[in-house]
Amino acid sequence: MVIDTLKCVGCSDCVVACQTENNVPIGYCRDWITETVDGSYPNLDLELKSERCNHCDNAPCVRCCPTGASHIVDGGIVMVTADECIGCGACIESCPYDARYQHPDGYVDKCTFCHHRLEKGQLPACVSVCPTKCMYFGDLDNPNSEVSQLLKNRKHKTLAPEAGTNPHVFYLI
Amino acid sequence: MQEELFTSGRNIPHIDPSLQIWHWPISTYLFLGGLAAGILFFAALFYVLGKEKEYPTAVKLATVISPIALSLGLIALLYDLTHKFYAWQLYMTFRIESPMSWGAWVLLIVTPLSFLWVFSYYSEIFPKWENKLQLLTKFKFLKTFEVFLIKNRKYMAYALIPLTLVLGVYTGILLSAFNARPLWNNAILGPLFLVSGLSTGAAAIILLSKTTAEKHMFGKIDLVLIIVELALIVHMLMGMYAGSQVQLEAMQLLVNGEFTLMFFGFVVILGLIVPAILELIELIGYKVPVIVPALLVLLGGLIFRFVMVEAGQLTRFLY
Repeated sequence: MVIDTLKCVGCSDCVVACQTENNVPIGYCRDWITETVDGSYPNLDLELKSERCNHCDNAPCVRCCPTGASHIVDGGIVMVTADECIGCGACIESCPYDARYQHPDGYVDKCTFCHHRLEKGQLPACVSVCPTKCMYFGDLDNPNSEVSQLLKNRKHKTLAPEAGTNPHVFYLI
Repeated sequence: MQEELFTSGRNIPHIDPSLQIWHWPISTYLFLGGLAAGILFFAALFYVLGKEKEYPTAVKLATVISPIALSLGLIALLYDLTHKFYAWQLYMTFRIESPMSWGAWVLLIVTPLSFLWVFSYYSEIFPKWENKLQLLTKFKFLKTFEVFLIKNRKYMAYALIPLTLVLGVYTGILLSAFNARPLWNNAILGPLFLVSGLSTGAAAIILLSKTTAEKHMFGKIDLVLIIVELALIVHMLMGMYAGSQVQLEAMQLLVNGEFTLMFFGFVVILGLIVPAILELIELIGYKVPVIVPALLVLLGGLIFRFVMVEAGQLTRFLY
């Protein structure tokens, strides 16, 4: 996933779309908006962006999971099987992005990149509703895909790369 | 440059503003697991060394604590799970990279072994109960079972020595495997928790021991363990002091922050230095009630687990 921080206005449409699409319990969210202010007055720089599970290549949550409920499916998406999750909280402790939460039903829940929509050839809910079209979703392994082209041509960053997780959500800056 | 981060639309229970996923059940379990591992380790070690007669408390009486501590610890762990009815999923797989999986499997072996070990000494530890209840005479199969266990005690001891060491180390590695929590993420935490567990085990043996020779022996062992533990704590703090920004911030919590009093006051001074001095004075020959240093060590071990679990969850990567 590629998110253009220069186009994001922080409207939270992605958050609401995700909560609706995935039946996220009230008070919880799988994605959220952050506002970062850099510099000192009057030279300020505001960055808005939508954050979620980074579906890391080297996912600490998958490594720490004692039952294998957290796993990486084909295509690199990190998923949780609710029936295998015991709710021990190890994955929540292991996530540098605090992207996971304990569902009120007990198991651990998080962003799935709307895997159920991808299977039908649709885009994740957050991407499909973004009014400024600042979010892009596609195959990073395909050098001709829109996301690969964007990363080739634009300056970008990932979150907390020093955590060694190799995130799969990229931010254009 | 100043930087401020606002996160809007997020106030997830137990996660925002700071992580509070693991509570007192985990800290209590880490303490009880370390204590049980320590006691069983000494019991098995002194049995293998043939010192059963010399140190009866370590090999026999004190081991009664282990199955109780492990059972309470397991209940605490189960209580902490939020998807309890799926707990059996732990035993459907073995994940070599997950410390919790290692711990689950080791506990599955050590807990029954601790019960069997105590049962093999049942008529020696509780002769009064046996006289009253006559369990072994009433139920013949129990007697056969006891004879079988006594015959195989040596193998139990050989199995317990490595298993209790794994159990003791795992309580620390469980925390140190999370690189997202900089306070926990140092390789010294495994050995540190093992040494602390062995030290609390030795303290529990001192508490229950009736002979001066045994008290002195375990006083010496405990003294060495406390010194090693202090050295490991210094190593841990030095490692973080020489670390990256996130580790420096993590260290601030212990050295110059909200956990300083708990950590230095109750863990380092009252839980390690004071009992070490008292044990030293006692070994030199002065009269010190051994119950004082032993209880301080146990209490210090418990508070140490609480401080590490609570403080660790406040530390994180900032981006």
